[in-house]
Amino acid sequence: MSREAPRRWGERPPEQLEKRIVIGPEGEVIARSGKVEYGQGIRTGFRRIVAHELRLPEEAVRVELGETDVVPWDGGTFGSMSTQTDGQALRLAAAYAYKLLLGRAAARLGVAAADLVARAGVFHAADGREASYAELAREGPLAGPLPAATDVTFAPGLDFEPEPDRVEARALVLGQAVYPHDVRLPGMLRGHVLPPPRPGLHLVSLDDTAAKALPGVVAVVHEGDFVGVLAERREQALQAVQSLEATWSDPEGDPEPPLEAQLRQDKDVDAALASAKIRHEATYHTPHIAHASILPSAAAADVRKDGADLYVATQRPFGLRDEAAAILSLDPKDVHVHPQQMSGMYGGGGWGSAALDAIRLSQAAGRPVLVEWTRAEEFQRSAQRPWLDAKIEGAVGPDGRIVGYRSHVRTNPHIYASGRVPPEVAGMTSGRNAVPPYDLGQMDVSLTVEQAQIQTSAFRSLAAAPNVFASESFMDELAALAGLDPLELRLRHATDPRLRRVLETVGEMSDWQHRPQGAGHGFGLAATIYHGTYCAEVAEVFVSPSGKVRLGRVFAAVDPGRLVHPDGARSQIEGGILQAMSWTLFEETKVSDGRITTRGWRDYPIATFRDAPQDIEVRFVFDRDTPSTGIGEPGSVPIAAAIANAVCAVTGARVRELPLRPGRVQKAMP
Amino acid sequence: MVRYELKVNGIEQIVDVPPGTSLTSVIRDDLGLTATRLGCGHGSCGACYVLLDGSAFASCTMPVDEAVGHEIVTVEGLSQDGHLHPVQEAFLKEDAMQCGACTSGMLISTVALLEENPHPQEEEIRDALSGHLCRCGVYGRIVKAALEASR
Repeated sequence: MSREAPRRWGERPPEQLEKRIVIGPEGEVIARSGKVEYGQGIRTGFRRIVAHELRLPEEAVRVELGETDVVPWDGGTFGSMSTQTDGQALRLAAAYAYKLLLGRAAARLGVAAADLVARAGVFHAADGREASYAELAREGPLAGPLPAATDVTFAPGLDFEPEPDRVEARALVLGQAVYPHDVRLPGMLRGHVLPPPRPGLHLVSLDDTAAKALPGVVAVVHEGDFVGVLAERREQALQAVQSLEATWSDPEGDPEPPLEAQLRQDKDVDAALASAKIRHEATYHTPHIAHASILPSAAAADVRKDGADLYVATQRPFGLRDEAAAILSLDPKDVHVHPQQMSGMYGGGGWGSAALDAIRLSQAAGRPVLVEWTRAEEFQRSAQRPWLDAKIEGAVGPDGRIVGYRSHVRTNPHIYASGRVPPEVAGMTSGRNAVPPYDLGQMDVSLTVEQAQIQTSAFRSLAAAPNVFASESFMDELAALAGLDPLELRLRHATDPRLRRVLETVGEMSDWQHRPQGAGHGFGLAATIYHGTYCAEVAEVFVSPSGKVRLGRVFAAVDPGRLVHPDGARSQIEGGILQAMSWTLFEETKVSDGRITTRGWRDYPIATFRDAPQDIEVRFVFDRDTPSTGIGEPGSVPIAAAIANAVCAVTGARVRELPLRPGRVQKAMP
Repeated sequence: MVRYELKVNGIEQIVDVPPGTSLTSVIRDDLGLTATRLGCGHGSCGACYVLLDGSAFASCTMPVDEAVGHEIVTVEGLSQDGHLHPVQEAFLKEDAMQCGACTSGMLISTVALLEENPHPQEEEIRDALSGHLCRCGVYGRIVKAALEASR
């Protein structure tokens, strides 16, 4: 078996130039990454990085993402890490490839490397002679381990070049982009699975008489607990599944025992908390929410005896490859994962979903099969964001200084995993951003991770958004008790200069000192440091007497280090804010007796055009020499607390539970 | 199977499909025009909108027989001879998309809106598009693109 040895959390294999960048005999440049594109713009960013280092126009570089046969192994596209890790690896690979090409050109032309100028894939010497990348690449493969970043010279001045269009944009507006739903293979059938009412139940009986008699039905597949239908048309497969009569076993087994982790433990926290006159305690709750991709999951599989091709949308191409290989008893190298255009999954694309259905059905049929879930299946078969409770205590001294902070977070696994995760992984996922980014005196932050009634998974920023809703709401509660302005309180406790800078910037952008407050209208603030990216946000809200919250303007100051594609980054921050304001105001997955009962958009409303903020103003403040950090998730992290703090500033209603439904806000009004 | 004659993007098409098949299924699965997307099947997300005689409709809740005799236009029919429709140009200019799943429906309804109201106010755009869901959060950019296309 060619399966790579399992890697530890966050560990990456050594980098080889030839796995990253290939320059073909005609000079065509291919850059490769195991990351996948789902609207966050990494294909465009990677192309820009590679083209810049190779002194090529951006159109000269083609980026291949997630094709498991050719790209380097990758653990998955999560955590706003793509630009930080693979962007950096590609930059290094491109700079190294350039260095090798330059060396070959200097030798071939017999001039010093410093006297050569590269333009559009050709090195020019002062005497007019030239050497193209194509002919230099034909001298022999550009290969070998990547050197240290200090051993290459990076091209200067990326930030002064004009911004590119997104690579996929033209295909998207022309309707030519191919999602898994759009894959059409010769001889392809449509499949649909009958899932158990909740995962892990066993099939007791099945009557497929009615289903088999329906038009277009090719076969009913029944193998153990797996039941599905193959038909000529999508709606025929669905109708047949709805005609199956199945009974299932009762749930069995006990839930995993909870896992405890200590995230920070300073000395004498009790004494610190007891020492101050102003003491406060509050508990916050965020519910299960759904990724709610606009297109329900879909996958096409072509399983043969000697291999399989999977046309899918996944955030973990290699994880899916290995899982499929195990199901099909194939060598992983014979499973070929082809990532298609992906309807945004926001962390929900880490497991097999429709691909696992398609694999089983294609294996049974001996033909390619396309599976498209319904909207109800998308809500009910998908793993959800965990619920999270945070109980926080804090104490403020007479000088307005916070002297002690204790927080206990209870939540579920924030990654999709079948077994128990090690405590340090629980801390990085379920405990993400539970420790506030301020100096709050003596601090004690602990975590309990327990199984939910339903399957939970990663969701944009993992536990950071719920944790920051709690801790940044609490900061405002302490500010009110201490009689301090919320921005002033944060600045007094922020020692990190980059955090101070985004706080000061967002204060300036929103004219915080002169903000109007009252008459159903006001402002709220929150901030975070997420995976090295600094983000402070101010929300303007309008609150009606019935408790309905509407957003006015939103201001965001963000420091993600060196920017690769400013407008793409801006779009990510805007989108993060918009999606998270929707979580905050509207969203909750309904669960009853271990089953998700949410079926469609009518019982899971998300923000519409009418709910969107009037305007979102993003300002990037950064130093060019600071390495890039992610921008996909940070924008979504502080907005819930910023909104809740604004609602409290306007109405006096401190709501500690999401979503901020009108009834809940009205009830909390003093 | 029942035979239907449809006019899609200016071309007469003949399909043989089971009675009651939705217009979305016919467009996607029989005509191979996959720009029209199936998001919910209940007309509540907007991904499947097409133009029917110039107005935007959800095709997922429309049985195919109701579309007979009408001019149907999908996103594939918006551009002419390789020239993008001004609304498509404006979406590109404002980068009014991320994952693109909602983009087809947004384009269709924006085209229909501008046909009926060539110079809409921002509030009118929000109202006209309010049946379309976007999960990536590009509503603001789509409003800007619609304003751009109306100039």
